Amino acid sequence: MVPWLKEGRRYLRIYLFFLKNSVISMMEYRINFLFGILIEIGYLAIKFSYVYVIYRIGVSVNGLTPDEILLFVGAFTIMAGLYSMLFHSNFYMLPEHVRTGTLDLMMTKPVSLQFMATLRSIQIGYAVPNVIGGTAMVVWGWREAGVPATFGNVSLFVLYLLIGLLMTYAVFLAPQLIAFWTVKTNGINEASNALFDFNQMPMAIYSKWIQRVGTFFIPVFLITNLSPLSVLGRLTSWQLAWGLVAPVVFLALVRWIWTAAVRNYASASS
Amino acid sequence: MPAIIVDRLSKSFDYYKKEAGLSHSFRNLFYRKPLRKDAVTEISFRVEEAEMVGFLGPNGAGKTTTLKMLTGILHPTAGEASVLGYVPWERRKAFKKQFAIVMGQKSQLWWDLPANESLMLNKCIYEIEDRSFGRIVGELSELLDVRDLLSVQVRRLSLGERMKLELIAALLHEPKVLFLDEPTIGLDLLSQRKIREFLKTLNRERRTTVLLTSHNMNDIVDLCKRTVIINGGKVIYDGDLAKVNGWLDQRKIVRVSLAEPVERRRLEAYGIVRSVEDVEAVLEVEKTFVKEQAKRILDDLPVVDFTIEDVSIEEGIAQLYRNGGEENESAPEIRQDVRHGVYALDGVPD
Repeated sequence: MVPWLKEGRRYLRIYLFFLKNSVISMMEYRINFLFGILIEIGYLAIKFSYVYVIYRIGVSVNGLTPDEILLFVGAFTIMAGLYSMLFHSNFYMLPEHVRTGTLDLMMTKPVSLQFMATLRSIQIGYAVPNVIGGTAMVVWGWREAGVPATFGNVSLFVLYLLIGLLMTYAVFLAPQLIAFWTVKTNGINEASNALFDFNQMPMAIYSKWIQRVGTFFIPVFLITNLSPLSVLGRLTSWQLAWGLVAPVVFLALVRWIWTAAVRNYASASS
Repeated sequence: MPAIIVDRLSKSFDYYKKEAGLSHSFRNLFYRKPLRKDAVTEISFRVEEAEMVGFLGPNGAGKTTTLKMLTGILHPTAGEASVLGYVPWERRKAFKKQFAIVMGQKSQLWWDLPANESLMLNKCIYEIEDRSFGRIVGELSELLDVRDLLSVQVRRLSLGERMKLELIAALLHEPKVLFLDEPTIGLDLLSQRKIREFLKTLNRERRTTVLLTSHNMNDIVDLCKRTVIINGGKVIYDGDLAKVNGWLDQRKIVRVSLAEPVERRRLEAYGIVRSVEDVEAVLEVEKTFVKEQAKRILDDLPVVDFTIEDVSIEEGIAQLYRNGGEENESAPEIRQDVRHGVYALDGVPD
């Protein structure tokens, strides 16, 4: 077998073990799990209330109708679910691994440390309300906005969601890596979570200047705006191109920071 | 070829000082004077294949830092090292598949899961064949007597039980070199003994090279013929553990129980008085005169009980710590202990 294919299969198998172990761990603490889900449902209700307001007022953003805005809110909600499922707890724990030195043992394993440290915990339960709720919003908005439900459109929407997922990984992992130098990152955490929420509404509601920063410098807008823009036929050619190039650029960048961070790793006292 | 070669390896850390109190904390917020601590300074030693070497030193001597460099966790500031022919901090996959590290205070097992789930994950990570996996887990769990514990959640296990399972998790891929950092810390005597027996078997039957740090002298005495002792980041002794005593070997310890208290001054006539407490006295006597002095003591004093012992290895090590650790923070404490005749090392039963 081709070496990289073999290696890919090994990583996939390890990831499936992460998934399995995470699910078993999650089910160990039933009450905690239940409350977690309840809180997620609460957040989802807040997102629904925004949607309600939009419909109630009949607001239009830069020519987007409420139905079309719903596509953006839906994409954001799905992404929030995926983020909390796949990355959030890992990123949150990273400074803790640095502080307590649990990263040490991970470092000695013959797998990528970045893979091990940033993807090992998968909180599938917390994602369920957001993914279901978000998908419902997208389906509703899609139909009402009269977007043709062709295979091409759906693929495009999913493709840009996947790109958004890669961007989420890169954009929200980078600030946590500062922990390798500063150990604690609570302050940065708050700031980066606030950044994620910039996607609650279409990027068009922000000034041109903010849009540029959020597209090129700290590309949070690439996370959930491109999917709805693409199916609504509003994606400009530069957005289309940058949307494909940016994940490569930012993943490479975060990999570079990671390597530098690990080199700087001082471990914790025994 | 030696399994481990360490050549003038050094590691220093940057840190800053903070005095106690809020005002100092506030000052620290704006200005921190950077300081540099040399955790390890140009240490060199070699470990042959299938050798079991004790790596000793007081707290803060640089033991764990050295182990972390040899396992690729830390990059050294200067110097070179090779483990099984690899440079550890290059973190090659082929290298990682051939060594293991077990740290008494850190766990690789998933806390909420039974250990066998973590073992399955390691099987996948180390690409271990099904058949050898079954055989290894069977053998190791049999040796450590933990077969029934594999399916119990790790958080429900006692510390000793967990440690045994940590060892299994670390040894699944049959590493050629095993680094152990305080593997018996916090364990009861029975568990300690079991783990030591296990390590002996491992070393004998699989020819696993072992580098072991421990404050528990029983571990070292029982397992390691050779010891490397570091203090203040430097190697201060490398050799046979039995000879660690050096000049102390020229002396004997005489313990006397008396029928009634005797003045200290009277006792001083027979040797150096280490301690006198009520009717119990401990004397240090030169080896060449021990017979003669023993006879005098028995003749002159109201002796109830009487023993002659060698100076313990712990004492020799404490002496080394004292002499070699001029730059080390923990050295003054030991020095003080020595002055009072109490050679207490962490975890060493008096």
